[in-house]
Amino acid sequence: MTTSEKSLIPSTNSSLSVFFSSILPGLGQFFLKKRERGLLIFLTSLVLAFLIYWSLDNQEVGKINIGGLTTSWLWLPFILFWAWNVVDVHVLRVHGRSTILPGLLFVAIIIYVIAWQVTGVRLNRLVERFDDARIVAANLLNPDMITISVRGEDKICAWSCMYSYIGDKLEGRPREGIIRPSDNLLRIIGSIKPLPAPEWQVNLGLAEPGSEVNTFVAGTMIETIAMGLMATLFSTILAIPVSFLAAHNIMSRFPGGTVIYYAMRGILNIVRAIDTIVWGLIVIVWVGLGSFAGVIALTIHSVAALGKLFSEEIEHIDAGPVEAVTATGANLIQTIRYAVVPQIVPSFLAYSLLRWDINMRSATVIGFVAGGGIGFFVVETTRMGGYQQYATALWVVAIVIVLVDYISSRWREAILNDQSPRDETNQRSVFNALRLAFYVILGVAVFAYCWNITEISIRSLLDPGKNFGQLILDFLNIDLTPAVVQVVVQQMLVTIFQAMLATTLGAFLALPVSFLAAKNLTGSNQLLGWLYYLARGVLNILRSIEALLYVVIFVFWVGIGPFAGMLALSITSFALIGKLFSEAIENIDAGPIEAVIATGANRLQMIVYAVLPQIVPPFISYLIYQWDINVRMATIIGFAGGGGIGLTLTTFFGSLQYHKAGTVVAVIVIVVALMDFASAKLRRALV
Amino acid sequence: MLKVENLTKTYPNGTQALKNVSFEVKAGEFLAVIGLSGSGKSTLLRCINRLIEPTSGKIYWNGQDTTAASNAGIRKIRRQIGMVFQQFNLVKRSSVFTNVMSGRLGYVNTLSSSLHIFSAEDRQRAMASLEQVGLANKAHVRADSLSGGQQQRVGIARALMQSPNLILADEPVASLDPVLAHSILKYLEQLNKERGITVICSLHFLDLVHRYATSAIALKDGELVFQGLPKQIDDAQFKAIYGQEAERVSAV
Repeated sequence: MTTSEKSLIPSTNSSLSVFFSSILPGLGQFFLKKRERGLLIFLTSLVLAFLIYWSLDNQEVGKINIGGLTTSWLWLPFILFWAWNVVDVHVLRVHGRSTILPGLLFVAIIIYVIAWQVTGVRLNRLVERFDDARIVAANLLNPDMITISVRGEDKICAWSCMYSYIGDKLEGRPREGIIRPSDNLLRIIGSIKPLPAPEWQVNLGLAEPGSEVNTFVAGTMIETIAMGLMATLFSTILAIPVSFLAAHNIMSRFPGGTVIYYAMRGILNIVRAIDTIVWGLIVIVWVGLGSFAGVIALTIHSVAALGKLFSEEIEHIDAGPVEAVTATGANLIQTIRYAVVPQIVPSFLAYSLLRWDINMRSATVIGFVAGGGIGFFVVETTRMGGYQQYATALWVVAIVIVLVDYISSRWREAILNDQSPRDETNQRSVFNALRLAFYVILGVAVFAYCWNITEISIRSLLDPGKNFGQLILDFLNIDLTPAVVQVVVQQMLVTIFQAMLATTLGAFLALPVSFLAAKNLTGSNQLLGWLYYLARGVLNILRSIEALLYVVIFVFWVGIGPFAGMLALSITSFALIGKLFSEAIENIDAGPIEAVIATGANRLQMIVYAVLPQIVPPFISYLIYQWDINVRMATIIGFAGGGGIGLTLTTFFGSLQYHKAGTVVAVIVIVVALMDFASAKLRRALV
Repeated sequence: MLKVENLTKTYPNGTQALKNVSFEVKAGEFLAVIGLSGSGKSTLLRCINRLIEPTSGKIYWNGQDTTAASNAGIRKIRRQIGMVFQQFNLVKRSSVFTNVMSGRLGYVNTLSSSLHIFSAEDRQRAMASLEQVGLANKAHVRADSLSGGQQQRVGIARALMQSPNLILADEPVASLDPVLAHSILKYLEQLNKERGITVICSLHFLDLVHRYATSAIALKDGELVFQGLPKQIDDAQFKAIYGQEAERVSAV
């Protein structure tokens, strides 16, 4: 604050303001014309008071007895926060500016103590049950991928066995046994089996009726890939008309269009706030368990996400060409074809590719609720303690997703940086025509195959299950009795705290790694160069596996509950934050560093004055973003034993109490939408 | 050829962009429209092909009232009137050829043009238009790979595809370097003199008006404040149009 602003504050009010703040937190600041700060302090103290009261009442957090009086010791930091607020007014009055750090410290103490307790963090379990964890770790490190048969006896041949086997073979040493892909791996990838000839082959005369032909039976991972592909295709097609309805510049041209625009935007935001996995729960009531349910759930969420992105893209097109083409006398369709489509096609394609990546990740876990795909495989195997089989699934998922991530980002880059003219008139050669025909045939074949293995059935789509009508009715008439609302709100709070702890833990782990994973800091040194690739590799592999797949490990280690879910989320947080942080470090401007070094500053001074100011705002922004993501993820983590609101939701769905499930969904939508809004606002204020 | 009568445009926010403007343009004229930014020049040009709907008043194009034309009718009128824009308004990612081709859309069938199918005659016309502005060798590069002056020449070629009787040019040189301004205006002058295409062009610099225009009108706060020959704009007229504090400057 500058001196001229300081003089604006009337001095007669200033001593009063200290008094005001000691009565009501924030009131003094409010009077010193620091309205936002005052309001924020007031709201914070309200929230803190509520949380202390609530956590003592429900979970006995911080419970102490002082001479017969039972209360929470957390009121102590609360009083300190209050005291800081009074000091803050005084300092503001005298010096014109004051630090918020002490206030933040007291807030953090209260919040983290509560979060720690309600998430059920039991560090002792990490140690006590370490032997259990060792078994899982050993199983995970020895995946059931290759079978070696020695004298008619089949055994799993893990990494060390494979290493020695290959070594022996290469050096020509005699080695007993024959290796082959394990049955488990074949279940995941697929196998060739003799099956009765399909109808189309008989009709084409390729096979005798009733004869058996060798057929490729798709494994669970192929099924998952097909689900991701189909959902991306369907959602892209469906999102195009939706996005035009949700674009303000298009809809405002029609009478009543603005109403449709707002309705559409509202629907998209609600649909987007409900996670794909939660949609899975709803869809299975409609079409029953199976890959098809997975495809629908993925498609619904995808249409909403793409619809929003597409419509924003339409809103940001350059109006000039539209005006110019209209001025030539073109009609509406021609104007869209020549002035709008060329502008939006590249970004639409890029967004679809991004969504393909996201859909593939979701497809790996949709099987947890919808059945089908690798998610269902994981549920089945881990239920029977098949951790070596589960480990194989993790490896296959990691490989596929890392590949998809790579392809998707390379294609997106190619599309957005494409400088060659989209000229349909220039290159009509035979070769191009043949190539196009080849791609079309390939596309149709892949589409037909995916349609087949994801068991898409228009009939079941049009013929909803018998409970679906009930579900719709119950969702329109959700249970708002205080008892239910209380349970739901409580679980939601647990979920939010879970997400917060996971973000914190993930960030602490990610911070050192992110410096190693930044190319501009590690480029010069050979050893650091290797560490860079190692760090990037680990982050990419960990990031390729969804939190729901990690929960299984932690459930075995620390037991079912929010703690396991929090640990699983912190792994994915670690991976994503590590990636984002390292990119932020790579993107810092070298200019200020050069300038500070030129003044004769040493290395530490350089970091403090030139590096930190550049990376702190994006770091905080990414943390908020991650917390936002984690709240979404935490709403589903309970489906695999991770506690929180997901558990409540599956319980209600499982017992057909749809009106209560509707309450949960409503609360999730409200919280996720609020978090989304608040985090976007905060991040915009930061950067 | 074009007659504007009592043209008034009030925007929904209450801004009166044009107040009772009346004037007439004869075939073969090069009419300059001058005035400060915000005086209503762009609105006036866009009312003529109804990219902006006039609030009241009449515009007669070869005797036909354009303000009363149906949607199909106005498209028929628009295709006879080419337009060139300050920001060129090309589709950046499309090729130069496709951009020029889009000038023919008012004449061709919707379905085939949506599939990018054009007759051989139209293709030749597009190449001829590009030749006219000296860019035939750039037909198959992306529009945004061209310089500003070249992009504006593509804009002129697009207008030529319409076989226009009139070209509306909205500040065609305001986004270009002064040296390029003459090159663009010379193309317009050539079309005006050799092909007899009428040109209505809004301009900033008075010396460009003196050099190229055969007649001029001036707008101030949406009102027509001058109508006559370019050379009639003397210092007193100049101050009346641009305000007392204005100084005469020239573009190269």
